Amino acid sequence: MLVHSRTGRWAAWALFVVLFVPLFALPLLVILAASFSTHWSGAFPSGPTAGHYTAAVRGESLQALTTSLVTALTASLLALTVGTWAALAAAALGRGGKRVLDALFMLPVAVPSVVVGLAVLVAFSQPPLLLNGTRWIVILAHTVLVTAFAHQSVSAAVRRLDPMYEQAAASLGARPSYVLWKVKLPLLLPSLNAAAGLCFALSMGELSATMMLYPPDWMPLPVRIFTATDRGSLFTGSAVAVVLMATTLLVLLAVSRIRTKASYR
Amino acid sequence: MTSGIRFEDVSVAYGGTTVLDAFSLTVEPGEVMALLGPSGSGKTTALRAVAGFVRPAAGRVFIGDRDVTGLPPHRRGIGMVVQQYALFPHLRVEDNVAFGLKARKVNKGEIPGRVAEALEMTGMAAYGTRYPRELSGGQQQRVAIARALAVRPGVLLLDEPLSALDAQLRSGMLAELARLHRELPEVSILYVTHDQVEALTLADRIAVMDKARLQDCGTPRQLYRRPRTEFTASFVGNANLLPVAVGGAGVSFAGTPLKVDTGGAASGSTATLCVRPHLVGLGDGPNALRGTITEVQWRGATHRLYVDVGGRRLKADLRELRETPELGAEVTLHFAPEDAVLLGAGVTSDG
Amino acid sequence: MASADAVPAGGGGGVRTASTGAGARGGTTSAGGTRSADPRTDGAPPAPSDAPVPHADAAAPRGPRSGAGAAPGSRPGPPAGAPVRAVPRWVWALPPVGVLALFFLYPLALVVQQSLSPDEGGTSVEPYAEVFASEAFREALSTTVWLAVGATLGCLVLGFVLALVIAFIPFPGGRAVAKFIDVFLSFPSFLITLALLFVYGTVGMANGLWTDVTGAAEGPFHFLTTPWGVLLAEITYFTPFVMRPLLAAFSQLDTAQLEVASSLGARPARIVRQVILPEALPALAAGGSLVLVMCLNEFGIVLFTGAKGVTTLPMLVYSEAILASDYPAACVVAVVNIAISVGLYSLYRVVSRRVGA
Repeated sequence: MLVHSRTGRWAAWALFVVLFVPLFALPLLVILAASFSTHWSGAFPSGPTAGHYTAAVRGESLQALTTSLVTALTASLLALTVGTWAALAAAALGRGGKRVLDALFMLPVAVPSVVVGLAVLVAFSQPPLLLNGTRWIVILAHTVLVTAFAHQSVSAAVRRLDPMYEQAAASLGARPSYVLWKVKLPLLLPSLNAAAGLCFALSMGELSATMMLYPPDWMPLPVRIFTATDRGSLFTGSAVAVVLMATTLLVLLAVSRIRTKASYR
Repeated sequence: MTSGIRFEDVSVAYGGTTVLDAFSLTVEPGEVMALLGPSGSGKTTALRAVAGFVRPAAGRVFIGDRDVTGLPPHRRGIGMVVQQYALFPHLRVEDNVAFGLKARKVNKGEIPGRVAEALEMTGMAAYGTRYPRELSGGQQQRVAIARALAVRPGVLLLDEPLSALDAQLRSGMLAELARLHRELPEVSILYVTHDQVEALTLADRIAVMDKARLQDCGTPRQLYRRPRTEFTASFVGNANLLPVAVGGAGVSFAGTPLKVDTGGAASGSTATLCVRPHLVGLGDGPNALRGTITEVQWRGATHRLYVDVGGRRLKADLRELRETPELGAEVTLHFAPEDAVLLGAGVTSDG
Repeated sequence: MASADAVPAGGGGGVRTASTGAGARGGTTSAGGTRSADPRTDGAPPAPSDAPVPHADAAAPRGPRSGAGAAPGSRPGPPAGAPVRAVPRWVWALPPVGVLALFFLYPLALVVQQSLSPDEGGTSVEPYAEVFASEAFREALSTTVWLAVGATLGCLVLGFVLALVIAFIPFPGGRAVAKFIDVFLSFPSFLITLALLFVYGTVGMANGLWTDVTGAAEGPFHFLTTPWGVLLAEITYFTPFVMRPLLAAFSQLDTAQLEVASSLGARPARIVRQVILPEALPALAAGGSLVLVMCLNEFGIVLFTGAKGVTTLPMLVYSEAILASDYPAACVVAVVNIAISVGLYSLYRVVSRRVGA
């Protein structure tokens, strides 16, 4: 405890509330409130309605939701596979090789997502791989963007993994592949889970690269929110945004449920 | 024969530091060999060279008649138990024990029986469906031993297996290990420890290591009663090491002639005399030495006296005395000639 | 002792030298390492296994098979041990690297190539000259930089104060707040701008309150479509990215230090300055440089603001490529953007590795 006087503590808490609530809590509440109203021309929204949600879960918006879900799931799984493989391969390399591999896989974090989108657009609008106009170009860009995060969190977990487990397994006669499947991957499962959740959330909210790439028939939720608000339908946009947040939260919650089941200590 | 371990001039170096230097040692089939030494002496490295986690820069390692120097760990056919147990946290006890059997593709129908047998042997049969985190440290250690024994290894490597246990559990587990070895007399055991009691209790022979080298090797009795080096004398048990000059019929210490077996040491040379503190008696007797008491420690069953004799501090462990001696009192100590060992000064053993 | 001994056996070469702990750990015998190329060397069933040994304790005469269950090849075999034809470790790194190269590095290379090929054909630095000469680019560059720097400073100050209260002046619900921050981080950035539209927009909450109270026709808040609106949104969104490492660093701080300091008569301000701040510096540095990079690359917030007056580099890439279809120009801006943010990101990696955050 840093402040021992009662007034000092209350002052600090008051400061915290004054800064925290308007900055962080208010925005989310505002979106929630707006999604249930038809007007906002005063201090508070007016015209309560659930109509935006009926719009947000059918037609174009429903399609955007399934698009986002499919994209995020596919991209997360692909990214997790590539990232985990790279993290495990890097751990087996020497110091220099590991550093190179880590740096390579961190690069997509540093490169602006818009630029990743541009690069993917430039590269796959031309032979040999013509993906422009298909859903695959969106999924591909998302995979590239989230692989870095998957790699980062899995390789942190691999570093923390005590080598004594795989040594114990090897001393019992287990081949390296057997050790990988029966010991290392099960022990990494909680971290893989967390990484999957992270990738999913990132992909669900990805806008920058998607704006560069999305074909008309594969429009994810963030783009849908943008087009709605750009047309001036702020309230519909809010409702779709709430759907986006709720979906992300639900998946994260489910993932953390699985994670607590899978953690052994 | 197929079990037994042989080191032939094994050297291991990490980044220029030699941690095991031309180490040669043979563990006979069915023998319990303790590698005893302070930390950093290379004993764990020697064990890991047998397991295959350390690759020697030079020399060869044999398990039985097989040269395993170039083999990866999983093809060496060993059992290993380490200090932190390394039980797989995601597997139940029975699956931990079955792990090695499944990894070696043992016939499926045979596995449950062998798991049960191994758990029975270590007294853990009732805990098969528990997870490691639900067990105490001692129980985890038993499971780790069961897991290593289930694969019926020819050699068992134990790396400080008891050092994570508290003192009471430790002596219980020592007795257990001794019993296990009686039940499995054909298994060779390499037992790494820094605890002389463990080594003396369990081992058929002890290899004493220091500074990456083998210093001495022999039965516990030999090493304790007839140590060959100062290091062995002070690391295996307690010792008074007295600098003496060798004379015709004995030696002289601080001007006092002492009758001991000089074993043909050249007259006039200097040497070290090793006398165990608990073999030193109070009062007159053979080889009497007079000195003043500088420190008295009461240890319950014994009194430890530190006595200054001619500028040297002698330790004497005496059965609890009725009256605690006064500091500064003048006393006479003695020891039997056959209880003293003359060590060639500066001579190291060739192992 | 354990960690110094943990140096692995090399897959096929001699002893690998690794100094201590971390290095030794990283290189443990693992997946790819000693996998045999020849299935036969691995797949063989365990040596004439155990059938004849009824009980392990049945002190059977030590025949050729008392090493029951020993690994294949336990027969007194070739003295040098069966040679293991292992695939070198680096081979296992090839597939993921190949995927990355095809889908990320190759496109990036194409961007660089395009930035050097003007529409008229050939290869020249002309697009660069053109772009650098344009007013729009220079303005975007300066806007991007000052917005990023400003937002980073704001995040550092705000994040430090908030984390300080959460960590050292605990209150009921503090854990919930920490959880909320984690959740907040998993939402996309443009939601903040969307919310700010309702709060500070022309007919939003703040202006509505103002007109209600004062009776004026119009509220005073019109900054949303200016860079200040972007700044506010970026500070809001990125502050949690500073708070997380700070909270982690604070939880490492021994509270006994604070107690000793205050028992010696130090006031809170002095404790913060002399005890907490030095401990927090690494986390601040790491969090700050991460936020700086992310602000430089931020797109969603700017896009949702919908202000023509605020153009940042990522925004310029988007508008050149998608709206103006001028790919060489877009690629030039992209290359500049990459150079700045990769440079800064490398700095971040170096800093965070130095301080071990």
